[in-house]
Amino acid sequence: MPSTSLALTPGLASFLKSLKTNPIDTSIENLISLLKRRQIRHSRSCATATAYLLLRVISACRTSDPVKLIERVQSVGRRLVAAQAREMVVGNIVRRVLGLIRDEAEDDRDAEFALSEAGSESQPQTPRALDDTSFPLDRDSPSMRPDGDRSSSRPPLTSMFSLLSHPEPEASLPSTPGSASPGGRGPGQGSKDVRAEVLEGINEIIDELGQVDDQIAAYALDHIHSNEIILTHTSSTTVQKFLLKAAAKRKFTVIHAESFPNNHEATHATVSGTASSEDELMSVESFQKPLIALGITVILIPDSAVFALMSRVNKVILGTHSVLANGGLIAAAGTRVIARAAKVHQTPVVVVSGVYKLSPVYPFDFDSLIEYGDASKVLSYEDGDLVDKIEVQNPLYDYVPAELVDLYITNLGGHAPSYLYRIVSDHYRMEDISF
Amino acid sequence: MGPKQKGGGQKQKGNAAEEVEETLQAVVLADTFETRFEPFTLDKPRCLLPLANTPLIEYTLEFLANAGVEEVFLYGGAHSDQLEKYINASKWRALSSPFRQLRFLKSTSTSVGDVMRDLDGKHLITGDFILVSGDVISNLPIEGALTKHRLRRATDKNAIMTIVLREAGRKHRTKSTSISPVFVIDPTKDRCLHYEEIDERAEDDQPTRLNIDTDIILSHAELDIRQDLIDCSIDICTPDVLSLWSDSFDYQSPRKHFLYGVLKDYELNGKTLHTYIITENYAARVRNLKAYDAVSKDIISRWTYPLCPDTNLLPGHTYDLRKGSLYQEQGVTLARSCVVGRRTVIGTGTSIGDRTTVHNTVLGRHCKIGKNVKLDGAYIWDHVVIGDGSDVRGAIVADGVVVGKKCTVAPGALLSYGVKIADGVTVPSGQRITKALRDGMDVASDPKVVGAGGEGYEFVPGDEDDEDEDAASEASSGLVYRMPNLSLSSASISTLSSELSEGSWPRSGRSSFSSGDEEQDNFYHEASASAFDMLRDDNAADVVVLELVSMRMTANASDQAMRRAVVVSFMKRIQQLMEGGKGAGEAVHDVFSKYREVVDRCCLLDRNKEAKKDQVDLLLLLQQDLVHRHKGDTILLFTAKELYELELVDEEAYELWWRDERSTESEEMRTVRAQAQQFVDWLADAEEEESSEEEEDESEED
Repeated sequence: MPSTSLALTPGLASFLKSLKTNPIDTSIENLISLLKRRQIRHSRSCATATAYLLLRVISACRTSDPVKLIERVQSVGRRLVAAQAREMVVGNIVRRVLGLIRDEAEDDRDAEFALSEAGSESQPQTPRALDDTSFPLDRDSPSMRPDGDRSSSRPPLTSMFSLLSHPEPEASLPSTPGSASPGGRGPGQGSKDVRAEVLEGINEIIDELGQVDDQIAAYALDHIHSNEIILTHTSSTTVQKFLLKAAAKRKFTVIHAESFPNNHEATHATVSGTASSEDELMSVESFQKPLIALGITVILIPDSAVFALMSRVNKVILGTHSVLANGGLIAAAGTRVIARAAKVHQTPVVVVSGVYKLSPVYPFDFDSLIEYGDASKVLSYEDGDLVDKIEVQNPLYDYVPAELVDLYITNLGGHAPSYLYRIVSDHYRMEDISF
Repeated sequence: MGPKQKGGGQKQKGNAAEEVEETLQAVVLADTFETRFEPFTLDKPRCLLPLANTPLIEYTLEFLANAGVEEVFLYGGAHSDQLEKYINASKWRALSSPFRQLRFLKSTSTSVGDVMRDLDGKHLITGDFILVSGDVISNLPIEGALTKHRLRRATDKNAIMTIVLREAGRKHRTKSTSISPVFVIDPTKDRCLHYEEIDERAEDDQPTRLNIDTDIILSHAELDIRQDLIDCSIDICTPDVLSLWSDSFDYQSPRKHFLYGVLKDYELNGKTLHTYIITENYAARVRNLKAYDAVSKDIISRWTYPLCPDTNLLPGHTYDLRKGSLYQEQGVTLARSCVVGRRTVIGTGTSIGDRTTVHNTVLGRHCKIGKNVKLDGAYIWDHVVIGDGSDVRGAIVADGVVVGKKCTVAPGALLSYGVKIADGVTVPSGQRITKALRDGMDVASDPKVVGAGGEGYEFVPGDEDDEDEDAASEASSGLVYRMPNLSLSSASISTLSSELSEGSWPRSGRSSFSSGDEEQDNFYHEASASAFDMLRDDNAADVVVLELVSMRMTANASDQAMRRAVVVSFMKRIQQLMEGGKGAGEAVHDVFSKYREVVDRCCLLDRNKEAKKDQVDLLLLLQQDLVHRHKGDTILLFTAKELYELELVDEEAYELWWRDERSTESEEMRTVRAQAQQFVDWLADAEEEESSEEEEDESEED
């Protein structure tokens, strides 16, 4: 009797469903309130929701002027981030999209430059780029490529490239749904491409979000060896897929800390395979077999036993909520204890995380990044005396400093924590870091 | 296929999308018609009072939005214009509001019962709905309760309501301490069997008693008697609930009357009420000032997560959680030497002076706290100025209050809007000071209370039993806020019902001892009042008949009582119509022609019998009733005529009535029937003619 269960509790699924029908401003507000009410809360759900929302935002934009697009995405992004600053993936996705627009605008500008060389004046657009925002928002190449001599040598070079590459985006045009409106002539055609390209780029990000776990899992066999004892924590699907991939080929033992009180139910379910994970996307996508179904020994332990068992553990594999630019982690509460214990026992700590969780934010005040959750998970609310007299805090996340982590495995491969800055600069543009 | 877990719900959601989506409706009672928040509610509607710097109603609407409610009906009570203005400007009215519809309904109701009956009349409710009062704070996903409710409903049409209750142990700050609700529950079916409110403040030598029907104990193998539940007044109702409210015109409060009454009358109505007891998640009601204190603490300690200040429910709020449950908005000015302790909320624009200490305090926006001030456990709303060296503990200080230098505000003091306390004044514990107009009149400031140059006077609540309540509350809690009244303020009981019985509690226990006469009397009162209500509301005749018949069955009343009830209600209505400017004849015609059926089916049961006893009795009753009424004689004439024309009363009955000695026993009776004389005469003539005609006919036939 499905109709009885149809209490439309809002969440990612209902948001994505409503996205198609609702006007864009409503959708933005919708997502903001979902984030505020913590109805969308896992990193991936947040990232997916943001990406789909930005897809809508950009396809709803009448203009294809990259400056306006950037402004629009920035204003939406600021509101989303203000709604839930601790979900850093939201900011990451916004930055990625901004970077996309800038890249396309750059290509486009170069193309225009080539045209303008040929006689038309498309330059008047440039001064507009410099208004209202606090940082240099120019589409000029100099500020983006901080190294080397700029401006003078590059335009002719890129114009050569873009002359050749220009037809290419046009060919890809029909495939993108957002760019149905015809009306590109002269310079307009170039800027219409920007939007189409950006939409395509966002779709790629969405695809990436869907595939990231499998991509990470592809590295599993390099890191997990036969007869190893692996310790893990929480019900992260990324970790589960990683282990499952290795389990297909090798036999090893998994020790699973239950991550009480915020995630223990999901962890129990993951270990026993009784429920598909809490992650809203996953339950739609695929039913996951538990590790035990593949003949792996999984030992569920309370968090307090971590230190005692650490001496027998060969490797610690951790999921995370987000990764910071300095290589530190914001991960489920209890992670720091595990990492610390691993350090004492010289056990390697491997963190598996999609690149989308990598945030360019530097944790100056990591206390502010930690969210405090529902106190009743720690102390039952029925206990009136204690509730009245004791202050209970339930941090949802831990900050794990970079020195406690030995290796990051992202969908791009394995990296040392000290190398993360490089990935950050690959993925985000300098000018978007504090958009 | 009930959903076992959240993950499973996902797939079902997909299936269900193809089915007809039932919109979930909610009714918010913004005013619960109580006086527990006086003197603040003299100026502002109760649900706009700030709780941790966010108006109460926001939490309730947030809860409904979380629950996936799509249509909200908001019933305003006192100061409903302010509330309406607030709601219209809020995000809930914006295009992006999660509610597809948010309707603000105004009513002149004076009790929850009136609101429910009004709602029933408006026919807005299409399916199951959630009934909450405008002061509920909850992070409960209602899904579970709703699913259970719907499943139960699918199998049993009579399961009309599910009450959401939060388990809370024996002693709890959020539970009410003076009266505690007791639920008797059949745990196998989650059915609530009995409900009673126990006065905890009763003296020791007079132990409180719970009166449970023996039937309940005999017919259920398992019973839970629970007193450990927080009643957060979240009810999932079916439309039947509304009609039950309508059927029982004297129910005022949703628990004490409605719940109690419906459970008592199970044998009659067959409706069952169920409970949904939650052991996780937060749910509470800010039902009085003590609960206000407790819920504020809960919010600050994040029991209500994610409904915490740092969620910034209101657009424009910028709260940040710092260490030690300190919530601070941007733009707060703190002096270097001030100490801001734990469990504190500070709004934007507030400045705190040197060497001031602040603990466990909620500070609103744009407050100015001077130097050397001590604040502890205080609730200070917006734009408050507190002078240097003052000491405010455990008090509520409303918007715009100015407290002078070196003042002491003792725990439990309530300073209402705009009050000014002069320098050096001590406000004693439990004192309430207001500036509100009393009966539309300005009241002169009382220098004894607020000091020379201060503004405001002491507010004395109307109830006399207040003294001991305060004492009791002092004994039971650290904060000396006034306890909830045991009885609702008597003003909320409509005139009609107060005419009937002095106590509003339906006394089933007592009724078994009471004499038959009293019962008959009761029935007559109830029936006439409800019939009158229905006539006034222009209900269809068959509805009135049904109601009256069922009431009669309930009370096992005699025919005579029934007739009397009908007569009285009809006459009352006629008189009302006449006062409204109608002529007597017209009024009589209107009422009787429309409700002919009522008279026919309720009063005249011996239509075919030879002795027209009932008809005569009806006429007599009419006559008796009209003795006291203005223009009674005219009405009697027209009524007699109308009854005759509608073929309700036969000629013989008129004759018998006219000759009946009871109709001429007193002077008044005679004057009333004087005008009817002409009608009876005419009738007699007509009869003669008729009979002579008949005779003629007969003779012709012959």
